[in-house]
Amino acid sequence: MEPVRKEELDSEACGSHAPKVKACPRPKPGEAAGGCSFDGAQITLLPIMDAAHLVHGPIACAGNSWESRGTLTSGPALSQYGFATDLNDSDIIFGGEKKLRESIDYIAGRFAPPAIFVYATCVTALIGEDMDAVCKEAAERIGVPVIPVNSPGFVGSKNLGNRLAGDALLQYVVGTGEPEPDAPLGVNLIGEYNIAGEMWDIEQLMTSAGIPVTSRITGDARYRELTWAHRAKVNMVVCSRALLGLAKQMESRYGIPYFEGSFYGAKETTYSLRQMAYLMNDRDMERRVDRLTEREESRLIQELRPYRKVLKGKKAVLYTGGVKSWSVISALKELGVQVVGVGTNKSTEDDVRRIADRVGDDTEYIPEGGAGRILKTVRERKADIMIAGGRNMYVAMKEQIPFIDINQERHKAYAGYEGLLRLAKELTYSLANPIWKLASAPAPWDKEGAYDR
Amino acid sequence: MTVNRRPKPAAINPIKIGQSLGAVLALQGCYRAMPLIHGAQGCSAFPKALLTRHFREPIAVQTSALQEMDVIFDANRNLEEALNVVLSKHRPDIIGIIGTELTDVAGVDYQTMLKSYKRERNMRGGLAFSVVLPDFRGSLESGYSSTVEAMLDEMIQQVGHRGARTVNTRQITLLPGSFLTPADVMELKEIISSFGFEVIALPDTSTSLSGHLLTGFSPLTRGGVPLDSMLQSLQSGLTIAVGASMERPARRLHNALGTPYKVFSRAMGLKATDELLHFLHQISGEPVPVRYCWQRENLLDGMLDAHFQFAGMSAVAALEPDHLVAVSGWLEELGVEQKALIASFETPLVAGLEREVWVGDLDDAEVLGKGSDLWISNSHGINGAERIGAAFMPAGFPVWNELGAYMSVSVGYRGAMEWTNKAGNLIMRREAGHREGSIRHR
Repeated sequence: MEPVRKEELDSEACGSHAPKVKACPRPKPGEAAGGCSFDGAQITLLPIMDAAHLVHGPIACAGNSWESRGTLTSGPALSQYGFATDLNDSDIIFGGEKKLRESIDYIAGRFAPPAIFVYATCVTALIGEDMDAVCKEAAERIGVPVIPVNSPGFVGSKNLGNRLAGDALLQYVVGTGEPEPDAPLGVNLIGEYNIAGEMWDIEQLMTSAGIPVTSRITGDARYRELTWAHRAKVNMVVCSRALLGLAKQMESRYGIPYFEGSFYGAKETTYSLRQMAYLMNDRDMERRVDRLTEREESRLIQELRPYRKVLKGKKAVLYTGGVKSWSVISALKELGVQVVGVGTNKSTEDDVRRIADRVGDDTEYIPEGGAGRILKTVRERKADIMIAGGRNMYVAMKEQIPFIDINQERHKAYAGYEGLLRLAKELTYSLANPIWKLASAPAPWDKEGAYDR
Repeated sequence: MTVNRRPKPAAINPIKIGQSLGAVLALQGCYRAMPLIHGAQGCSAFPKALLTRHFREPIAVQTSALQEMDVIFDANRNLEEALNVVLSKHRPDIIGIIGTELTDVAGVDYQTMLKSYKRERNMRGGLAFSVVLPDFRGSLESGYSSTVEAMLDEMIQQVGHRGARTVNTRQITLLPGSFLTPADVMELKEIISSFGFEVIALPDTSTSLSGHLLTGFSPLTRGGVPLDSMLQSLQSGLTIAVGASMERPARRLHNALGTPYKVFSRAMGLKATDELLHFLHQISGEPVPVRYCWQRENLLDGMLDAHFQFAGMSAVAALEPDHLVAVSGWLEELGVEQKALIASFETPLVAGLEREVWVGDLDDAEVLGKGSDLWISNSHGINGAERIGAAFMPAGFPVWNELGAYMSVSVGYRGAMEWTNKAGNLIMRREAGHREGSIRHR
C-alpha cells in the first residue's frame, strides 16, 4: 500500500484553496441529495463536546438538526444542547446582532463553556449580519473565545462545510494554547468524529502501541486540546478529503508532516499505525506497532473464521461519500465480500483511482442518480446486501434488501480490528435474519397468484 | 389566561421545528406526491432525515438546491429546473412547492412563476400549488395546516369552474391535525365509518407512513389519499377537523363550497371521545357501535386501576400547541397536576386555554417542570427529563428512541387507554427504581 502524498491530487478536493480549483459540481435542482455547508460545519465542530454551539438564525437550521448525529462523548455534553438565536420577523427586519450578543452573554454566564462557536445561516448571511465583529467584540468582553463559523447552507455542499469549519479552527483555535509541559507529543487525528465510539477504539489501539494522541480533531474533543494541536509531531487525516486543507496548512505553518489513512479493515489499520510510528521517527515505537499489529491481525484471523465462511462470495453494493468508498472496500475484501457496485458521487478523481486499485474490473461505478440508480445496480448485479448511509436505509428496507448503515448516523463502530470483527458480525446477522424469507413469501390466501406486485 | 415567556435571549434545546417540515409531512399523506422545497439543500435534507428517523420510512421530498449566486440572481431558474426534472422523471400527481425563509428573505416570487409555468406546460390532471412557509414564524403545526389549506384552495379552484357540485351527505371529509399518528388517523377513520359514513381523510398518513411492503421503493410518496379521492372529497356533506389548527382549512371549504364543519380541538381522553361519538351518533341517527361502548367500559375500568399510580403525581409537557391542549385534557382526567405546559409557539387555542401556558423550549420545561414525576415531549427531552429525575414519555415529533411510536394510538377510548397505561407503567418503573436506589444507599 503506497502512502499518498501527491500535491496535484489534493487540489481536486472539493472547495480547495489551490489555484487550479476544480469547482464543486453544482447540485442539480430536483435530484439533489445530501446536506448543506451548515450541516457540514456542524458535523466537524459539534464533536467538540465541552463547547457551546450557537446557531445564529431562525429556528429551522437548529430545530431540525440538533441531536441528530451519532458522535459520542465520554464526559461533558454541552455540545448536545441545541442553542439558537431563533430570529423572528422583526429580528430579520431590524437585524439580529443584538440578540446574538445577548445570547452569547447568556450562554457564557449560565453554562461557562471554554468556548462558543457561532454558526451563520443563510438568512443571517443574506441580511448581512456582521457576525465576525460581534464575536470578536464579545470574546474580548467576556474573556472566552467566541468563534464565528461562516458556513451558511447555501454556499455549497456538506464537504465544503467541513472545510470551512477546518478553516475556522485554523484561524481561531489552533495555536492559541500550549499543552502541559511534560505531556508527550504525538499524533493529531483529523476528521475522526467518534461516531458510535470509533475514536475510542482507535485511541485504545494507539495507547497499546504507545503512540500519544495530541489532539482529536474533533471526535470526543475538549476545546483546550485543539488549541495546542500545532505542537503535534504528526497529522493523520482520517477518511476526510475535506479536512486535508487543514493538514496542509498545518504542514506549511508548523511543519507537521501529515498522511492520509483509514481504520476500516485490518490492512488499513495496520498501515495507519505503522505510518504514524514511521513519521514519529521512533524506532521503539515502530517495533511496538509491529508487535501489536501482528498480534491483533493473527487474533482477528482466528475470530473472523466463522464469519468469513458465511460471507465468502457474498456480493455487496457500497454507496457512501468520498473517501469512505475506498476505505470500506478494503475492509469488505478482507471479509471475502465482493463489491459489485460502488458509489462515486462525492469522490474525487483520486478517490476513484484508489477505488479502482481495490476492486475488480467488473465492479460498477455509480456516479449519482440517487436511490433508483443504486437499486438498479443491486438488481442487475444480484447483490446480497447494500451498504450505505442512513438516508438509503429505508429504500433498501422497502425493497427487502439486507442493509448496513455506514454513515454518520450509524450505531455500530467499525474502525480498527475490533471494528472489522463487528462489521463481519453485523453483515452475518443481517443476511441471516429470518425476515427476508418471511417478507418475500405471499400471504397464504394470495398464493393462487392473484397478488399483484 | 395569558401566554407566558421566560425572558432569555436564545432558544435552548428548542421544540420548535421549521414550518416547511410540516408541509413535507402533510404531503406524505397524499398518494404519488412530491414536496419540492424552494431553498438550500439543507432545507430539504434536514426535514427528510428527521422525518425518516421518526417514521422509519422513506420520505419523498426534493429541493431546488439554491446556492448563494442563485439567490442573488435568479432563484426561480432553479425551481423551473427542479420542476422539469421532477415532472419528467417521476410524474407525480401532486406537487407542492414550499417556500422557505431563504426565498422569503430574498423576496423570490415563485407564485407567479408557478402560474405561468402551469399555463405554459398545460399541466392538466395534476395538482400543483405553492405555500409560503418561512421558519421565523410558526412551527410544524402551522406549516402542516397551511399546506392543507393551500392544497384545498388549489383543488377548489380546479373543480370550482366545472359547474355544480352534488353534495353527498353520507360522505365526510376528515382533516386530521399534524400531531395525529398514522394509527390515530386510521382509528378516526374507523370510528367515523362505523356510523355508516364514507370517510376521506386529507391528508391520510394512515395508508402511507404506517409502513407497508405492497410496493417497493418509490421516489414519490408510496401511499396516502389519491388525487381523485381528494377531488371527490369536495362533495362531502360535512368536514370534521381534529385539532384547532385544522379549523382554517375547514373554514376554507365552508366559505368556498358551503360545507358545514365541526372542529374537535381536544382529541384525547374520555370526554373528548364521548363528544366525538355523541356527535356522530346524532348526525347519523345510528346507535354507537357496541365495540365502542365496550371500549368505554374498559377505559373507565382501566382509569380506576391506574388512579392509584397517578395519585399526587405531577407532569410537565412540551409539545406543539394542538397536541399540548389534547394532552392537557387527558392529564386533567387522570388527576395529574400539570406543573408546566409549554407550547412551541402561540396560537389562539393556547392563548384561550384556562390554564397557564408557556411558549418556549425544553430548557424552560426543565426549569418550570422541576420536581415533576412525568415528562412528556419529543425525544429531544430525554436528557432534560433525566436531569430533573422525571419519567420520560416520548410524544409528538420527533420520537426516535422507541420502535413503532408512529403507530401508537392516542385518540378514541383505545388511545386514552394506551396512553394511560403507558404513563402509569413509566411512573411505576420509576418508583421501583427509586426504591432499589434507596435500599442500595442504606
